[in-house]
Amino acid sequence: MPKYAMVIDQRRCVACMACVVACKKENEVPPEQFRTRVVESTEGTYPLLRMELRSELCNHCDNPPCVYNCPTGASYKRKEDGLVLLRKNRCVGCKSCLAACPYDARYINEEKGYADKCTFCEHRIKEGKEPACVATCIGKSRIFGDLDDPRSNVSRALRENHHEVLLESAGTKPRVYYVKKFSKPE
Amino acid sequence: MELTITGANAMTSPHLHVWDWRVSLYLFLGGLSAGLAIMTSILHVRKGGKLAEGDRAAITAPIYVPVILTIGMLFIFMDLERKLNVFWFYLTVQPLSPMSWGSWGLLVFYPVSILFALATLPAPNRRYLLIPALIRWSEKLQRFKLQLAALNFGMGIFIGVYTGVLLSSFVARPLWNSAILPVLFLTSAMSAGAAFMIMIAQQKKAKLFFTKVDIWLVLAEMVMLPLFFYGQYTSSGAHRESIMPFFTFNHDYFWYGIGMLLLLIVLPIALVMKYLEVHEDHGEELTPVALMKMNVSALMVLAGGLIIRLSFVYAGQLSHLS
Amino acid sequence: MTKSISRRSFLKISGATTVGLSVAATLPDKFLLWAEEQGMVKPTYTATLCEICFWKCGVMAKSLNGRVVKLEGNPNHPGARGRLCARGNGGTGLLYDPDRLRSPMIRTGARGDGQYRKASWDEALNLVAEKLAAIKKQHGPESVALFTHGTPTDHFLPLLSAFGSPNVGMPSFAQCRGPRDVGLELTFGETIGSPERLDMANSKVIVLLGSHLGENMHNSQVQDFTEAIGKGAKFIVVDPRFSIAAGKAAHWLPIRPATDMALVLTWINVIIAEGLYDRDYIGRYAEGFAELAKAVEKYTPEWAEKETDIPAAQILETARLMGKNAPSVCIHPGRHATWYGDDVQRTRSLGILMALLGSWGRPGGAFFATNASFPKMEAKPFPESRETLNGGGFPFAGAEGVTQAIRSSTIDGKPYPIKAWIVTGTNLMKSIPNQKETLEAINKLDFLVAVDVMPFDTVMLADVILPECSYLERHDALAVGKGKSLTVSLRQPVIEPRYESKPGWWIAKELGTRLGLAEYFPWKTYEDKIKSQCQHWGVDYEQLKKLGTITIADTAAPFITASNPPVFKTKSGKIELYSGELKEKGFDPVPQYTQHQRPKGGEFRLIYGRHAVHTFSRTTNNPELHELCPENVVWVNAGIAKEMGLADGNYVTLVNQDGARSNPIKAKVTERIREDCVYMIHGFGTKSKALKKAFQKGADDQGLVTRYAVDPICGGTGMRVNFVRINKEFIDA
Repeated sequence: MPKYAMVIDQRRCVACMACVVACKKENEVPPEQFRTRVVESTEGTYPLLRMELRSELCNHCDNPPCVYNCPTGASYKRKEDGLVLLRKNRCVGCKSCLAACPYDARYINEEKGYADKCTFCEHRIKEGKEPACVATCIGKSRIFGDLDDPRSNVSRALRENHHEVLLESAGTKPRVYYVKKFSKPE
Repeated sequence: MELTITGANAMTSPHLHVWDWRVSLYLFLGGLSAGLAIMTSILHVRKGGKLAEGDRAAITAPIYVPVILTIGMLFIFMDLERKLNVFWFYLTVQPLSPMSWGSWGLLVFYPVSILFALATLPAPNRRYLLIPALIRWSEKLQRFKLQLAALNFGMGIFIGVYTGVLLSSFVARPLWNSAILPVLFLTSAMSAGAAFMIMIAQQKKAKLFFTKVDIWLVLAEMVMLPLFFYGQYTSSGAHRESIMPFFTFNHDYFWYGIGMLLLLIVLPIALVMKYLEVHEDHGEELTPVALMKMNVSALMVLAGGLIIRLSFVYAGQLSHLS
Repeated sequence: MTKSISRRSFLKISGATTVGLSVAATLPDKFLLWAEEQGMVKPTYTATLCEICFWKCGVMAKSLNGRVVKLEGNPNHPGARGRLCARGNGGTGLLYDPDRLRSPMIRTGARGDGQYRKASWDEALNLVAEKLAAIKKQHGPESVALFTHGTPTDHFLPLLSAFGSPNVGMPSFAQCRGPRDVGLELTFGETIGSPERLDMANSKVIVLLGSHLGENMHNSQVQDFTEAIGKGAKFIVVDPRFSIAAGKAAHWLPIRPATDMALVLTWINVIIAEGLYDRDYIGRYAEGFAELAKAVEKYTPEWAEKETDIPAAQILETARLMGKNAPSVCIHPGRHATWYGDDVQRTRSLGILMALLGSWGRPGGAFFATNASFPKMEAKPFPESRETLNGGGFPFAGAEGVTQAIRSSTIDGKPYPIKAWIVTGTNLMKSIPNQKETLEAINKLDFLVAVDVMPFDTVMLADVILPECSYLERHDALAVGKGKSLTVSLRQPVIEPRYESKPGWWIAKELGTRLGLAEYFPWKTYEDKIKSQCQHWGVDYEQLKKLGTITIADTAAPFITASNPPVFKTKSGKIELYSGELKEKGFDPVPQYTQHQRPKGGEFRLIYGRHAVHTFSRTTNNPELHELCPENVVWVNAGIAKEMGLADGNYVTLVNQDGARSNPIKAKVTERIREDCVYMIHGFGTKSKALKKAFQKGADDQGLVTRYAVDPICGGTGMRVNFVRINKEFIDA
């Protein structure tokens, strides 16, 4: 049974927004709404500066607050691969999941009214393809694969690099990992 | 730090704004009906029912409970984005979702409050029910008045707590994510219920009784609010940040500052007024002035409850982890 | 388009039943949409080429129900490698932009007031042919000039040549790559090409001089750039602004603008003085080393520190970093190179640096293009024409022409008058400096016809507008790629042209026919032409249709080896560190530094650049891209902003030295830029009302470029020579 995860190698991200647009087109996300975004932050004062580029999306948490807070079971964590998904026909649009998500990964689809989110392109995985954002990532900064397979790209990336998750203290156990620094863990 | 975010959703950036005055009103009215249910049960049970004797509130209060609840639920219904799917609430039980058990709780609370209203309807008034079946029900339920009062009381507590848990279950929103919040909301709901009861009760004994009750509840609220803020302040950075809208008196947080000031004024004044009301020698009948004072202090308590719901719903959405 | 294409857009209902379009068309739309949502309609994929920028990446276009729903990178294409950038992904935004030009239009009001009436193709084409023929009769064919960019060139340049005019102007030369290409040609005998033949993926050190890769989003180039990051390459980024690339750099050198040559010449001096250059390589392949060494002696790190504002120690350190890692050092020669008017010389100094490090023709440096090519097709020769004026008298002007030379001949009629412009695929108002002059020239014209997809500023000045369909709706010339290997790529329509728009080839052919030049278009459809070309070249057309790109095997010889010695097509047959050719024409044979004017107090040098989601001014109205970057901002140093009382997000206007004033533009108060310059993204401040989303959004950098420093060697217009003052505007952000 696969355990899907994404690793974002921030070193290789150039904030080109290819992922943002590819995701929108792949998933028919309405105008002005997004399932993934790119954060560009700079610290320091001229000329001693440090920049961080970070693409963010649904973390497909192992401890998903959005699922816990969904009153109708529309949001669920799929047993077989751990994807956090939505049964659209069940969603009442109460927005509990939006409030529950510490990553602000959800939005109310303006055209359909349900609380939409990234699905790791579940429909593409099914066809053996990578998620749209990964497939188009110019910097190969986004890596997708199966954590249970030690030879997968994600397993290797996590083995070989220091990595972290967003808001670890929230206890959500995200499945999107971030690599910032070079070199292997000690 | 310079921050540019490309691809943010307006609903969550720069901060969450998914819920507005509709949800605030729902929480307030839901709380009010829960508090009123508790107070109604007390009214009917206290002193073996003597407190209720001859008071119109004994009839109207139980009826107000489902009515206020209905209005409150209309507001939450207005907030749903896919109203036609609302039946899904009742095709599933989600044990970790407060909204799920809240909606099931409401499903119990509703009939209980209606049954209690029927049970407490005195014989002469039953003819207004018009439908013979209802009249028969009302007669039969008479016997279970005490049990129904207990149930009504229990459901009132449940719903009062629920309105707080609804918000406190979000790890993502530090202002809400406090165990004090449900208790605070319950206390606030009960004090609002008592205040409402003071306004609809006719007799001096009932009015003064609930004034006494309300003194303790408002006092409890006034202890709990600072404790809540203290708890947030001494917790994680995100929690500390989360209460800042209430204490940063600037242009951005204007309304939160005003809300805080109002609470600081309304609750103590109401408390003092109530204290004076209780200790005043009223004589046989309440004078119009005394009545007005009681209504004013009760309204202040209700306003306090509304301010708490409004400011917490909005300010909670400004708060975020990280 | 043709039948075979319509078949591609067939709908496949699940269960492998194929239903033809004709049948599908009879089904109610609602049912089709429903079927689509249920996943019953299987998408079809068409291989084609992107045209959102000039990188022309291979695309696999996914369509559903005859609608193009998604564009993906074609794995067979070397520029895409299966990936597309944000713009490529957003290509459907152009296809479905509601503001597209829908039918031919003929001007009814005064030039520039946007009054047009719809016309039939016949009427519009007849009018254009009639006007051009009249001008030819009265003034000669060379009085018609063509301004062009991108694939329309493949159709309209032959038309112009057949018509008898040599006067073509492509802003890609004098406003962009010209000086770079000339500088490298003078040094190595060839240019670096487009896509640039840089082996960045294998570099140990990469030097970017003002090049902001990442923001400058050229697909495979940025893929190589990030590959280098992944492999741990060290970056030396010279930029007055802390760009995305600078954010990745081991050394960010925030240079004083306009002093780049001082830095490069000092690097050269240090590398020579410390013996860090590749003696063997220089000995074998270069000439003029002694002259070079002598000419750069004076450029010491201490001198350069004063000039460039970069500490001498850092200049030394970076020079040594390059020297130690040679030859796997990539000195990026840049792309938009028209900065200060001495740009050929600056590129030459970069070329010399590459040569000293021995990186030209070496892994990690620059690689050689394939020698292979396709056999030429027989074609009717074009008529002889009078001497061209598009060279502007510059000794090394390229074949792409010097746009502003055509513009000034249009104004003053010398050496002969220019009476009509054909403008295809380029927005001159936003690409050539000094808009006043451009407008003056346009107002002198007898006739201006524009061919484009969108109603850009320049299009809305035309007398006749001919709506070209977007790249997803047309055939274009086969794209022959000469990178490491020889490749050929096909652009073919994914859907039929929308509205009344037509492919560029059709417009050119129809105009040609009406001008009596039909024999230059000896094919019925462009596909016929492509087919016969494929046949001639031995390329399987059906295969090409399916794959989009075919790479010809065994055509790569990228690096210098014993069996693959380098060929330098310079006069001496060697790398010319010292250029006799330049000396002959009266220029410095070895690049020398000249100090440029600096902004005075309260003035800031205006620099401009790109955004990863936009191409020039051509994408600002694209709904998919507009929402990511709807307007540009002006970067102002945080210290300066504090002095001025300027907060992030405040609106300002910029006024340049000649009094030109910009639109209100938001200030980005940032630590990421030097104090002596301001920066904005090029291409905003659209004046065409017909572009409803982009209209008046942001400020137009080109409007502030009223002054330009012309490179005497090639005619390039240095455009980073304008100084602006910042005025606070009292509009709430």
